[in-house]
Amino acid sequence: MNVAIANVTKKVTKEAGAIVIEARGLAKSFGAFEAVKNLDLTVRKGECFGLLGPNGAGKSTFIGMTYGTVQRTAGSLTVLGHDPRTDARSIKRRLGVVTQDNALDESLTVRENMQIYAAFGGVPKHDATRRIDELLEYMNLAHKRDASIQSLSGGMKRRLVFVRALLGKPELLILDEPTTGLDPAVRHLLWGKVRELHASGTTILLTTHYMHEAEVLCERLVIMNQGNIVAEGSPRSLIDAHAPGFVGLFDPGEKRALATALAAQNTLRLHEDESVLMVRAPTLEQLTAFCTGHALRPTQLRPSSLEDVFLGLTGKGLSDDA
Amino acid sequence: MLESLTLCMNITRRNWAVYRKDLIANMSPSLADPAFIMVSLGLGLGSYLASVQGMPYIRYLAPGLTVATTLFTSFFETSYGFYVRLTFENVFKAMLTTPIGPGHVVAGEFIWVGLKGALMSLCVGIVLACFGMMSNPWLLPLVSIMGFFTGIACGAIGLIASGLVRNINQFQTVYSFLIVPLYFLSGIFFPLDEMARPIRYLAECFPLVHGVRMAQAIFWARDVPATLAVSTAILILQCVVYGALAYRFIRRKLVS
Repeated sequence: MNVAIANVTKKVTKEAGAIVIEARGLAKSFGAFEAVKNLDLTVRKGECFGLLGPNGAGKSTFIGMTYGTVQRTAGSLTVLGHDPRTDARSIKRRLGVVTQDNALDESLTVRENMQIYAAFGGVPKHDATRRIDELLEYMNLAHKRDASIQSLSGGMKRRLVFVRALLGKPELLILDEPTTGLDPAVRHLLWGKVRELHASGTTILLTTHYMHEAEVLCERLVIMNQGNIVAEGSPRSLIDAHAPGFVGLFDPGEKRALATALAAQNTLRLHEDESVLMVRAPTLEQLTAFCTGHALRPTQLRPSSLEDVFLGLTGKGLSDDA
Repeated sequence: MLESLTLCMNITRRNWAVYRKDLIANMSPSLADPAFIMVSLGLGLGSYLASVQGMPYIRYLAPGLTVATTLFTSFFETSYGFYVRLTFENVFKAMLTTPIGPGHVVAGEFIWVGLKGALMSLCVGIVLACFGMMSNPWLLPLVSIMGFFTGIACGAIGLIASGLVRNINQFQTVYSFLIVPLYFLSGIFFPLDEMARPIRYLAECFPLVHGVRMAQAIFWARDVPATLAVSTAILILQCVVYGALAYRFIRRKLVS
């Protein structure tokens, strides 16, 4: 059974341009380590906004600052009209967070977990049962209502964390690495749900280190690296600005042949990563002409993606152990 | 104010929901330990002793066992129990995204250990009363007052430990060098009057001696109103002092 999206989200009237999150000169240091340095960003109502970057880029530190579990060391921050340092509770009443850790109570059942969180969020008891049932239905978990958390698969637990985040009909939904470690099927299911929630007017702030996820979901995004914003815009505009055109990937064994071929011209350049060699070109024709002209066999020819934007901006691949 | 209290009670309710899942296993040490102490020390050791403060040793020992139960049930809850919730189960990471703040977490834990202390001490008290250990069994409900405040004060000490330890093994040091000495120097097993003055003064700074005085007054029906008034006042003061310290340390773990 499909539950109408209208039931699980709040009716939102779109006030043009209303600001949901505004950060100016925002910074956070842990001792000598500067996790976030001088961050400026604005998230508007109804937007799906992405924060991208490798682990350690400062994404989660920023997320923590929006609801007050991380206290900023400089700058200003307003979320849903309140300062999280002085009035986190007013923010948290209107917020739903898909936390990076599931943090579900393993000894309780699905329903018991949700009942506790409905109470935390101030959902009246008589509404809570109905709301939990609706959301479990919406996330395809209705059949697991009385199951223990231990018996759920990783994907089910993640869906349940979505249910938990949606219990209070949040105006702002924060998704902190929502699909990390999930299989593609669950990832696509969750992407579909996020799109529905976004279409119904919920403002979404998404952090991820999957470039493709941001490309699929976000209207606007910033790429963070080592506490700084290194690029900002829509996925399309970022690709156009920083990595336009197409990419040819080559096997490391072709390095010598590739170098000779590139030396013979001066429009295309070699980009080297730990794992691949790549050549970027403004058009597909140019790239195929280059390959056939020098008898090179690329492993892949594809349009540029956000991942290439990141590579282009930092000259380095996204690493998970940063 | 009312909303804050509701948020605190949510933490308490959550702990109860988890606790009652394994009620028998969770309650058994609190009830079994005092029973074994009664038999081994009260009847075993007690048969070699003439009398303590003019009464058979078993009667001297009985009231303190309600306090011992309170100590262990609340200290373990806020030390190992809380630390596991904080570090391994990450319970608070999700909780703090809801209107609940760090203050509600700490206050909710205190209400929980207070109620648990009250309930456990009462259960032990009932068993002891059945063995004829109370001069006036009608005073039994008063034991829960002792359990409530002693529970919160001991729970605050456990929470301070949770805020200070770097890993779960370090609780063993706290247990061996703080909790066990306090347990034996609390007046539960023998009167403290003969102990060196510094030890007696030191013991006054911790909740147990005050809990023991209350329990003895209730069990022996001696000076009940006066003892209850004075000891409760001291315990409330300790709850405030240790509680404020606990909040400082735990807040640092919840908010960075």
